[in-house]
Amino acid sequence: MSMMSRRGVLGATAGLAAAGALGHPLARPALAQPRFPNRPLQMIVPWGAGGGTDATARIIAALLEKELGQPVNVVNRTGGSGVVGHSAIAMANPDGYTIGIITVEIAMMHWQGLTELTHANYTPLGLMNRDAPGVQVSASSPYKDIKALAEGIKNSPPGKLKASGTGQGGIWHLALVGWLQAMGLKPDHVRWVPSNGAAPGMQDLVAGGIDIVPCSIPEARAMLDAGRARSLAIMAPERDPQFPDIPTLKESLGVDFQTAVWRGIGGPLKMPAEQVAILTAALERVYKSKEYSDFMKSRGFGMDWADGPGFGKVMAETDAAMGVAMKAAGLTKA
Amino acid sequence: MTDLFEGLRLVLQTDVLIAIAASAVYGLVIGSLPGLSATMATALLVPVTFYLSPIAAVATIITASAMAIFSGDIPGCLLRIPGTPASAAYTDEAYAMTRKGQAELALGTGLWFSAIGGIAGTLSLLIMAPALAEVALNFSSFEYFWLAVLGLMCATLVARSSPVKAIASMLLGLLFSCIGMENPAGTPRFTFGMTDLLGGIEPLPALVGVFAVSQVMRALSEAEPPPLPRRRFGSIMAGQWALTKKYPKPMMRGNIVGIIIGVLPGAGADMAAWVSYALSKRFSKEPQKFGTGHPEGLVESGASNNASLASGWVPALLFGIPGDTITAIAIGVLYMKGLNPGPTLFTERASSMYALYIIFILANIIMIPLGIIMIRVAATVLRAPRASIMPIILLLCAVGAFATGNNLFAVLLVAFFGTLGYVMERNGYPVAALVLGIVMGSMVEQSFVTSLIKSDNSIMPFFDRPISAVLAAITLGALLWPVAAWLIRRMKARAPAVAGASGGHANG
Amino acid sequence: MQLSDRITGSCLVALGGVTVYGALQQPGVPGQDVGPSVFPMVIGLGLMGCGSLVALRIGHSFEAPDDVVPPEPGEVVARPPRFAEWRAFLPPLLLLFYMLAVESLGFLLTAAAISLAVSFTMGARARLALPLAVLAPLGIHAIFVRLLRVPLPDGLLTLPW
Repeated sequence: MSMMSRRGVLGATAGLAAAGALGHPLARPALAQPRFPNRPLQMIVPWGAGGGTDATARIIAALLEKELGQPVNVVNRTGGSGVVGHSAIAMANPDGYTIGIITVEIAMMHWQGLTELTHANYTPLGLMNRDAPGVQVSASSPYKDIKALAEGIKNSPPGKLKASGTGQGGIWHLALVGWLQAMGLKPDHVRWVPSNGAAPGMQDLVAGGIDIVPCSIPEARAMLDAGRARSLAIMAPERDPQFPDIPTLKESLGVDFQTAVWRGIGGPLKMPAEQVAILTAALERVYKSKEYSDFMKSRGFGMDWADGPGFGKVMAETDAAMGVAMKAAGLTKA
Repeated sequence: MTDLFEGLRLVLQTDVLIAIAASAVYGLVIGSLPGLSATMATALLVPVTFYLSPIAAVATIITASAMAIFSGDIPGCLLRIPGTPASAAYTDEAYAMTRKGQAELALGTGLWFSAIGGIAGTLSLLIMAPALAEVALNFSSFEYFWLAVLGLMCATLVARSSPVKAIASMLLGLLFSCIGMENPAGTPRFTFGMTDLLGGIEPLPALVGVFAVSQVMRALSEAEPPPLPRRRFGSIMAGQWALTKKYPKPMMRGNIVGIIIGVLPGAGADMAAWVSYALSKRFSKEPQKFGTGHPEGLVESGASNNASLASGWVPALLFGIPGDTITAIAIGVLYMKGLNPGPTLFTERASSMYALYIIFILANIIMIPLGIIMIRVAATVLRAPRASIMPIILLLCAVGAFATGNNLFAVLLVAFFGTLGYVMERNGYPVAALVLGIVMGSMVEQSFVTSLIKSDNSIMPFFDRPISAVLAAITLGALLWPVAAWLIRRMKARAPAVAGASGGHANG
Repeated sequence: MQLSDRITGSCLVALGGVTVYGALQQPGVPGQDVGPSVFPMVIGLGLMGCGSLVALRIGHSFEAPDDVVPPEPGEVVARPPRFAEWRAFLPPLLLLFYMLAVESLGFLLTAAAISLAVSFTMGARARLALPLAVLAPLGIHAIFVRLLRVPLPDGLLTLPW
């Protein structure tokens, strides 16, 4: 007995020493406020620790902590391809102390029949990030610009060209479908090769296995920097200030198609109006802080802000657009 | 040269050195607890890196992951509960050595050859990262398919059981990997309408269940085994030099195989240890000793395991492609700290790169003294009564499974896999093969299906691409060789035996 | 739970059959020829094949004896306790208990109950089991909640720190 408990205690002390040494030199709240919030908040992340959404949530939580004067604890609730965490946000107690980061998947999952949840189950608090997909080809590809690629796609027999970057019915697959339809082509004119995320897709692009990867530019960035791939256009209303050399689809091709992934903060329905106002104002200050823009720049993530109603509108628009694209691609649950 | 000194200066900062020391202790403690994994140890460090300087931040990730991978061998050796899917390949061997009273030799082997493998992997990163990255970039789904099949075949080579039952276990693992949405259609498959199954079955709850929980179950149903003779725990490092001299070839082979498999994104350390253990058994002069507490396989797979960990950083640093879950987390930290992956990291920021190399080597060197202390502390478990250890292991299983996603469903999965593992083990089905099947399943299916889509349903590219052809030849050779050997033996036996001609006992 | 090869083999054949049936129910993918049914189909057929071989006891001769270290001559091999076979299924049940109870009881109480159940079943005396049931949950709570920041539920018992 004594042996075992000693081991446990030793382990714990060593661990605590490690935590102490690594430290949390974050400013403690200066003033305790009499009104909301007067205890720690919880921020639910529906995706795993270490990924892009997790990192975004953690930087927002750290800055929100400074704004609100209360700790904001990040909790990863993974499982069910994002469904579990998104439900946890929607079903939380609507007292303003549990919020979460909502991702674009909420506009897609219900069309596939995976969950009843839609954007209408949340109180939107603020949009924090938006990334548009680019059209990436390998550096050795014969298509030098988006016009040449569009011509190449139109002149190739259906199914000859292949694209990849996410699973069947994933966001980048829908971006491709939307673009093809905007050009007046069939949704499966370019065949989709399901992959386990954008990174394997980019690798296969460079290895010569596929022709196009329509993933977001931050995901393609390392290969672009390495000179192994080229981004021909971006599916956004205007150029990305971080990548000013990449033209939009509209200016280069005259095709007005745009889509994006986004991340925003939301809470369950029926939150008190006062709490909503305080949180939205704090999020706006977080968004405008230098720390936030420095972080987003370092990751290459696109900045975009909208307040609660604005974020709600973005979610509703995406939801409708995804529904159209998914029906066209035959991905909706009959 | 100036870059090297600049790199050294970057590492020899107080904050970096403190970060290395603290994360080393952290990694060792987390890795040694049954039910917690190296990936989890790394993921939980991410929020801490927010507050560190760039080099210190990367140093914590490198050090903690290397330490946690090694110390995952400790519970495997002492209690037959592997800490990572990688160490599941040789857990039975290490535990057999412990039962023979050679725990210190087994743990020392893990420590010494892990450190050597880690340093060899770092050197490969230093000398030929760009060349290795080219190899990785030439791997398309056709090559991955053969690689995955080769990995699966290791399950039958490693097992000390009926090959039929080993294959059945592996197929069962593959069946579990079918659950979820990660399939060619992107729709729920075999989820029975359960939301929690949409994301599929992670290898970790399965690993914890079939090894840790079923070990507690066995402890409850069997009488206390005869206590090990009470004696002083011997020197951990004695005998390692002798092993190095006795098995230079397996050690080198382990290093090389580890480096190659580690470079390939998606394969990673898990597969490297399995392939190396199987190779070691296949080419050993004494294959019959494998599984009875024989250090040879530990030498090769221990070296391979850590070599692949270092070389897994090659595609991550050059192209931002994660080799495994740990480097996926590391890439996020690199971006956040302005050390953007890409060839420019090697040219324009060469001093930072040298700093990373130095941290890798430093981490593998301090692993030895810290590892010795950790082993000595952990070995007290051998003398503690089982009734005090088993409750703690069961609690760690529950909490560890919960902590990976803060989802109680994982606890249910652990209970399920515990029961399954216990029943399988009692009936001679090797559970390690089940874990390998779960780990490799999505890679097999994904590479096969995407290959067929890309080739418009032609199977020719599986054979006519150069690397693919070589891998196909190795796979088919390994598959057909035992059958051929069996046929030859049978024909020889039928032919009228000439006295004295049956000298060769070489078996397939 | 020692079952005969005939039984486990038949179970595998049945499981393989169910898998093949499940694979046939999978929807096709619009625009793709190779759907989600191919891989489970192969697995199901493989399981049926392996199951039949096991039931016919082919490959049985390769199986190694269970004991890694055979008992020395003269060494007394302890008899397993009575009902031992069924006691093995206590740990999974305790994990289910954890899953159902931890939200309401809180981590410390649930963990203490599990610890007591396991150590008493293994024949520990109260002198060992009681301190363990207090110290083990506290130690694990310290590592996970303080160091790793995992939100374990407090339930009925909230620690002052």
